[in-house]
Amino acid sequence: MTAVSLLSSVLEQSAPIVLAALAAMITLRANILNVAVEGMMLVGAFVAIAVGDATGSAPLAFLAALVASIAMSQLLAVMTLRFSADFIVAGLGINLLAAGGSLFALEWFYRSPGGLRPVSFPDLWHVPAGSLSFIPVLGPAIEGQSIVVLLAFLAVPACAVFLYRTPTGAYLRAAGEDEHAARSAGIKVGQMKALSLAISGLLAGLAGAQLSMDKLHFFLPDMTSGRGFIGLAATLFGGGQPWITAAASVLFGFFGALGDRLQAFAIPSQFVLMLPYVAAIVGLTAARWRAHVRNRPARMARPKET
Amino acid sequence: MRELVLDCLRAVRAPLTAILLTLALGFVLVSAIADDPVRAYRDLLFANFDSLGNFALFLNRATPLTLIALGVIFSFRAGIFNVGGEGQLYAGAIATTIVGVTFTSLPALLLFPLALIAGILAGAFLGWIPAVLKVRFAVDEVVTTLMLNIIVLLFTSYLANQVIRDPTSYGAVSRVLPEAIWLPALPGMRGATSGIVIAVVLACLTWVVLFRTEWGAQLRAAGTNLRFARSVGIPADRRIITAMLIAGGFGGLAGTLYVLGIGHRFEQNFSPDYGLVGLTCALLARIHPIGALATAIFYAMMINGSAYMQISTDVPRSLVDLLTGLLVLLMTARLARKGQRA
Repeated sequence: MTAVSLLSSVLEQSAPIVLAALAAMITLRANILNVAVEGMMLVGAFVAIAVGDATGSAPLAFLAALVASIAMSQLLAVMTLRFSADFIVAGLGINLLAAGGSLFALEWFYRSPGGLRPVSFPDLWHVPAGSLSFIPVLGPAIEGQSIVVLLAFLAVPACAVFLYRTPTGAYLRAAGEDEHAARSAGIKVGQMKALSLAISGLLAGLAGAQLSMDKLHFFLPDMTSGRGFIGLAATLFGGGQPWITAAASVLFGFFGALGDRLQAFAIPSQFVLMLPYVAAIVGLTAARWRAHVRNRPARMARPKET
Repeated sequence: MRELVLDCLRAVRAPLTAILLTLALGFVLVSAIADDPVRAYRDLLFANFDSLGNFALFLNRATPLTLIALGVIFSFRAGIFNVGGEGQLYAGAIATTIVGVTFTSLPALLLFPLALIAGILAGAFLGWIPAVLKVRFAVDEVVTTLMLNIIVLLFTSYLANQVIRDPTSYGAVSRVLPEAIWLPALPGMRGATSGIVIAVVLACLTWVVLFRTEWGAQLRAAGTNLRFARSVGIPADRRIITAMLIAGGFGGLAGTLYVLGIGHRFEQNFSPDYGLVGLTCALLARIHPIGALATAIFYAMMINGSAYMQISTDVPRSLVDLLTGLLVLLMTARLARKGQRA
């Protein structure tokens, strides 16, 4: 029973991280370091609650969250691709804009800077209890999860298929790997990058909707609390490979779910929460170091330049 | 002399345009929601000068911003995209606090420099990690500085909560530093940190070092064109690492001066995103130290003034966050579409 409840809470905790990680991964494959996942998630979370509060319809709130998040991603795409703004700076700008904008809306329209808590809020579709009890362990753990959790784990194979089995995915990866070569092969690099950002916005919007609409039904300023960056860390650790990235995010979600319980073993929760970021730096360094070692003979033959 | 004045004028002109544009945009927003937009804007910008107390608070905000911006300038001039200002700030603040509250028995004459150096070294160490990873293994410094920010934030949260926490006070704050090592206030102004003098002096010094010494020229060469720099015999890797050490040191100094001169203790989450705003100031100033001083002062005015604006006209202070977001999003954009293809 405890295994089921732990698995269930790991699934729930890691779903937004998996989505954030895929959102960062899909742009990373188009050679964009997407630091704006956090902001796009926050916008999704806020819009979900605001629209759900205003219309009382869960599907509408859900759709609005996705649309808002995609709109943010396209704002970033326009600024960077059309007006050649720097990706990192503009991405951080998106984060600030999302945090400042949602706080401003809370303070001005709702007059409650502490957060937005609608009295009643429509529920997302959840897997009905007892419907999957014929599958041992996994079945009961999936029961009661929201549809977004299911979508999150379906998004992993979907992203893998998109990247490796479709022409568009191949173009996208080509645009990321060598822009000039891709351009001379007739691939519209700008379009591919904008597309990757749009998919990233979609996934981040899902993650945001999951955060605010599943179970909690309210919005708090800064409620994403770094999950976008954990996702980015997972992607970097996984080297942009969908399955490794997803595995890393589940692992980080697992540590997040464990974080508080580990305090019993005298490990401060902060150190557990640090793990994803340390793993990202170590993983990235290890990958570079391997490449460094592998290329050593070739590098010795050449005059030193990088 | 004339050349110097012209150079500084040129440095101030670009950020001034961006700032005026943002202010105009904000004014449109404020007039849409407030009854008295002029009053709101007056308070946002000029309530800082209404009383000595307000002015002191404003100076206290300008100090860390300027120092972080200067650090960012060193790293960017060396071609390192350092977004780690926040982490370096916290590292400096916590190191100073730990030294300050641990060795209370030492005489102030010894403890003060010790605490100062600890803070600077902690910041510099944080700058050194991404620099070495970048130079040795070509690990992207944006990622490492970004991740280190969060790691340091979590680490300081642990220290502030579990190790040096003041059990008598509410919230995660450390014990107060001995009063003997507090940075003296500006003469005649209660509560205003004299750190601002240090910041102004360092801004001028940064300009001289970067633009009037051979070492600075080599550093900038490494930043503009690494291969060229290497082929004319500049030890570019060494310059890059040193630049990041200095950048981290500046960030650490910002935290140190905050603890010694303003907070007198470590408070968890004491920074309202000084790291990112400092980066914004530096970029707005086109990575020029004197310009960065100007933009940091402007930003301190806005951040501090937003509180007065909220009190007098109930325009939310998060307006400033919103405007900052817009500014950061827009500031690196170029209107000319086919300027250059990277």
